[in-house]
Amino acid sequence: MKVVAGLALMVAAALVQVTWASQLDIAGVFPNLVLIAVIGLAWTQGVRAGLLWACAGGILLDLNAPGPLGLHALALLAGVYATGFWARNLDRESPLHPAGAVALSTVLYSLLLVGADDALGLPIPPLRTAVQLTIAASLYNAALMPLALLALRRAAAGLHWEQAAT
Amino acid sequence: MLALAVLSQQSWAAGARGTAKSALAPLEAQMMALASTVGRATAIFGDVASLRAENQRLNAENQDLKRQLAELNAAAYDNKELRLALDFQRSFGHRTVVAQVVGRGPDAFSLTLQIDRGSEDGVRSGMIVVSGAGLVGRVRETGPHGAIVQTLADPQSRANVYLSGSGLQGTVIGGPGSLQVQIEHRLGAIPSKGEWAITSGVGGGYPRGLVVGDLVNVTHSDAATVDSALVDWVNDPAALSLVIVVTDFVPS
Repeated sequence: MKVVAGLALMVAAALVQVTWASQLDIAGVFPNLVLIAVIGLAWTQGVRAGLLWACAGGILLDLNAPGPLGLHALALLAGVYATGFWARNLDRESPLHPAGAVALSTVLYSLLLVGADDALGLPIPPLRTAVQLTIAASLYNAALMPLALLALRRAAAGLHWEQAAT
Repeated sequence: MLALAVLSQQSWAAGARGTAKSALAPLEAQMMALASTVGRATAIFGDVASLRAENQRLNAENQDLKRQLAELNAAAYDNKELRLALDFQRSFGHRTVVAQVVGRGPDAFSLTLQIDRGSEDGVRSGMIVVSGAGLVGRVRETGPHGAIVQTLADPQSRANVYLSGSGLQGTVIGGPGSLQVQIEHRLGAIPSKGEWAITSGVGGGYPRGLVVGDLVNVTHSDAATVDSALVDWVNDPAALSLVIVVTDFVPS
């Protein structure tokens, strides 16, 4: 049940991200719903669950992106890993910490994505553009995170999921 | 994941990668249709739906008129400077495939579109994609029933253009928010706001004569080696629903 619900969440987040999310464009960026969902899962269900769903969500994003498969998954994994440290050491109930965690994860995600593209010889955006996009995306995702976390906690309570320790 | 990325990048894996990437296209098409239905359903209050339809019609008409104006400008320039070289076949005789936009790139680093036509419909990597208004971008990857199009708004996109009024040459560079054009200096010619940027065919990346957009906010300096300007792109990638793939132009 948990796996089905998680998979449904990932597929829905990925599909909405690649179809509707671009309508919510601000300053050239739109919300990364899969990243928000994965960080939310890592925050509420633990890092192990977050890492698992990062792989699934990342592959789904890779299917819609140019370039090789696995890059988005790798970038999401880095974000979840950092979130794990954050969640382990700070107050899980505060809405500010997950917002900060998703902002940090967005920075790591962007760095890894651009870095991996560069390492694989794929074209990358100019540095200034990449920095602008990363900052805007971090702020956008951070602003949405408290709402997403609230929805995720309600869904988890409805499905009787227990919050994981880490 | 890194191993998967490296393996899937190999040429022998291109087929499997393309097939996997076009697997979600039907689902995405359903989502886009659903989005369209939801949009219509929420527009039933008052005259919003009819106003929206009217607005879309007028927008389409406006885009068409803009294209015609730009083409007339381009034709005038060509008549003046390159009368003998004018080749109508380049502008009107291309073979094309119409495709529906079923998805968009998952991040802001790659402003791409996913379309529902692929290699089985004759679409190949490198082909040019246009809309009724003008240039959209280029096919980057193909699967059997889907393809990924790198739009001009992608920060990695480049297109060589000339300006319809002054005839100056330049390069349009993609970017978030708006396109930028770097214009080469030429004695006695200064770029001005409102001029159309039209593909020049230089470099062989795009055919000559495709409308990109009009210049806004031109920055000119006699001391600089190039001028720069923002281009109001004739296409809005977030609003594109149908595109045309030019199947008989081979970029050099």
